[in-house]
Amino acid sequence: MNVKRLSRLSLTLAAALTVGQAFAATRGGQLTFGRYADSLFLDPVLNDANLDIWILTNLYDTLLQPTNDGKGVQPGLASSYTTSKDGKSMVLTLRPGLKFADGSALSASDVKWSLDRARNPEAGAWNSSLASINSIAVSGNKVTLNLKRPDPTLPAALATFNAAIMPQKLFTAAPGKNDAEKAKAFAEKPIGSGPFVLSEWKRGSYMVMKRNPYYWKKGDDGKALPYLDSVRFEIIPDDNTRILKLQAGELQIAEFIPLSRVAELKADSRLNMTLFPSTKVNSILMNNRPKLNDGTENPLSDVNVRQALNYAANKDALIQVVTYGTGKPMKSYMSATTPLFDAKQPGFPYDLVKAKALMAASKYKNGFEVTVLATSGNADDLALLTALQQMWGAIGVKLKIEQLDAATKTARYRANDFQMRTAAWTNDINDPSQITTYYAVFDNIESVHTGFKSAEIDKLFAQSQQELNPAKRAAQYQQIQSLYLKAAPIVYLYETPYPVAMSKKVKGFFQIPLGNNLFAGAYLEK
Amino acid sequence: MHASYVIRRLLQIIPTFLAVMLVVFLLVRLLPGDPASAILGDRATAEIVERTNRELGLDRPLPVQFGVFVRNLLQGDLGDSISLKIPVLRLIGERLPTTLFLTAYAAVLGVLMAVPLAVVAAVRRNTWVDGVIRAVFQVGLSLPVFYVALQLLSLLGARLGWFPIGGYGEGFGEHLYHLFLPALTLGLNLAAILVRTLRNSIIEVLTAEYVDFARAKGLRSRVIMTRHVLRNALIATITLLGLNIGALIGGAVITETVFAIPGVGRLMVDAIFGRDYPVIQGLTLTFALIVSLVFLITDLIHARLDPRAELS
Repeated sequence: MNVKRLSRLSLTLAAALTVGQAFAATRGGQLTFGRYADSLFLDPVLNDANLDIWILTNLYDTLLQPTNDGKGVQPGLASSYTTSKDGKSMVLTLRPGLKFADGSALSASDVKWSLDRARNPEAGAWNSSLASINSIAVSGNKVTLNLKRPDPTLPAALATFNAAIMPQKLFTAAPGKNDAEKAKAFAEKPIGSGPFVLSEWKRGSYMVMKRNPYYWKKGDDGKALPYLDSVRFEIIPDDNTRILKLQAGELQIAEFIPLSRVAELKADSRLNMTLFPSTKVNSILMNNRPKLNDGTENPLSDVNVRQALNYAANKDALIQVVTYGTGKPMKSYMSATTPLFDAKQPGFPYDLVKAKALMAASKYKNGFEVTVLATSGNADDLALLTALQQMWGAIGVKLKIEQLDAATKTARYRANDFQMRTAAWTNDINDPSQITTYYAVFDNIESVHTGFKSAEIDKLFAQSQQELNPAKRAAQYQQIQSLYLKAAPIVYLYETPYPVAMSKKVKGFFQIPLGNNLFAGAYLEK
Repeated sequence: MHASYVIRRLLQIIPTFLAVMLVVFLLVRLLPGDPASAILGDRATAEIVERTNRELGLDRPLPVQFGVFVRNLLQGDLGDSISLKIPVLRLIGERLPTTLFLTAYAAVLGVLMAVPLAVVAAVRRNTWVDGVIRAVFQVGLSLPVFYVALQLLSLLGARLGWFPIGGYGEGFGEHLYHLFLPALTLGLNLAAILVRTLRNSIIEVLTAEYVDFARAKGLRSRVIMTRHVLRNALIATITLLGLNIGALIGGAVITETVFAIPGVGRLMVDAIFGRDYPVIQGLTLTFALIVSLVFLITDLIHARLDPRAELS
């Protein structure tokens, strides 16, 4: 061995050691996390709210998992999966020795049972994500999904919370006459195979999850994750109180920091004010129908008007006013973090001249008055709409703001009884199909009740749902995004991040673009 | 006699209860929006909303729904929360003690602040002392509760670190410690209301003939104040306190939110926003019961202090 090689070797070794040290996570301890509201119901199939979804993945694991960047999926309980050539079946291989948090074995039959439950059309709001499955067969540690049709969204669907694997024996042993009753009982003390297990829950006050000693994933030190002994969620609805508690050291993480306070907290040397990339898009949904419910003519049915409103909205200014500079303009109806987002989409850059020309070309040359539904008590909605009042005033559109509580607002637009409404969206799955079925496809809920309908988009979307060639599918989505932009059924506003403030001691915590809070790799530096 | 009066009053609560029940049942159903949409969010399809409504029994005619509600109520069952999927009775059982503790704590602090200050203000009436006391409480009354709450939190909680920022703690001692700032917030508001009334009553009583008589007898002023003046002046104040305890329980909403206290005030707000009918109904009945009982107790104390008050 010559000297050069030896020194290179020792350099490599030294580098490896430093890298090892740099990644050496501290084990143990409790992390306290301030949430704005408590979870409601911890069943992966029968729940509906982000409050549940965003922490479920810590309790229940899925066969595949979304990647932290939001772009795809990675192995979970299944170490690998293969799709047949005709796309009509998928085989997943489970890791050896998997266990639930109570120490009992996780078998392929638990997988079959869980997925059968999740895809039952009578259960929950999410079964359609697994609708392409025709039947499930198991043998040893292999699970075979036989499909009705090729389904490019299936890997992402298997990485989504509702496809979580649950212990069949424990669930069926729970008291109750039917699935719903058993779910109620089971969800009070759920056992899954995620990194943590629920140990205490005082509703409305706090929840404690302790580490699952049987979790399969290993940390950088080669030992089982998670690093933390426990995570404690404190429910603190008031934004200011949550921040005060963080600053006083009573919390290590506080979520949903108001965007107005991001700059101030960034300047706090004890804190790590983080803006996690999200799939959140903020827009104004417009009623595209020719007539309103009361029979009057609807100016928003004119595509010139809709485009004019889009061009007249100065996104950069709105981003400053409403998001304090933390947002970025929407270029497509889907966020830039959504797979198959087309980066070449132009969006609607601010162009008052164009907006005026479009208004002049419309039936409403002299302008009109339009009412927008806002969520009462929402400061962001008010800031946004008062700014838009001025911007749209420049093209002769008079904006009236009607403030309603969320349930009333929902009731109004479900009945198509609205002209415009503020809206935000986050994806639940690492695939563009979900937002597309809601925003662009009429048949689901009339394109989020805007009434927008495009035969071309419907056709392209149907094709994309069976297209296994990634390049072809991307091209279909590119076209859908372009067609949608041209029709402008919504007012494109901005994308916003998830603002999370953390003590500098917190390392390895992640909120992925879907919103899930991941504590498996989190630790507290001493 | 007292016993029969109490029984009669308790029986009177029943029709009140029935009326409250019917009104609330109808009112929550008059609200725009339904529980299914509220829990399922913006994205639910019409079929899923319909299915959920069917599962919740909300597709049945109103009289049938009301019948089911009353039947279950007679069996001591308030139904399950729609969003949390646990029995309403259990939810209230978990949350109500916290709110009652906070209310009682606030009432005690409020009275402890109000009585001595009202006495001082009345005795030194129209002096600068009186002016300062009245001015301070006038300002206190006009400041929004959430503002006072946040100021107390950031000063005594965050800056000085004397009290925890929010939460409830475990056990009586910790409750006292954790709930001090929220109780003080509510207590200040209550004291502001009480001081004015009590001061005026004291002044009124001080000018009464029997006080002059007591003075003429040579009784010491402290004895006059506690035995004669306060006893009489408190009568009106106790009625006012009773009225305000009902308001305190309802008004704990803001305090509970700012101080992150898991009480029924916050539960009610969440239930209204979520159109969680069973929780709204259950809580309204509970509030009605508490207010009725507080009024009864107030009347009994009133009668005790003022033998002229007839219990009929």
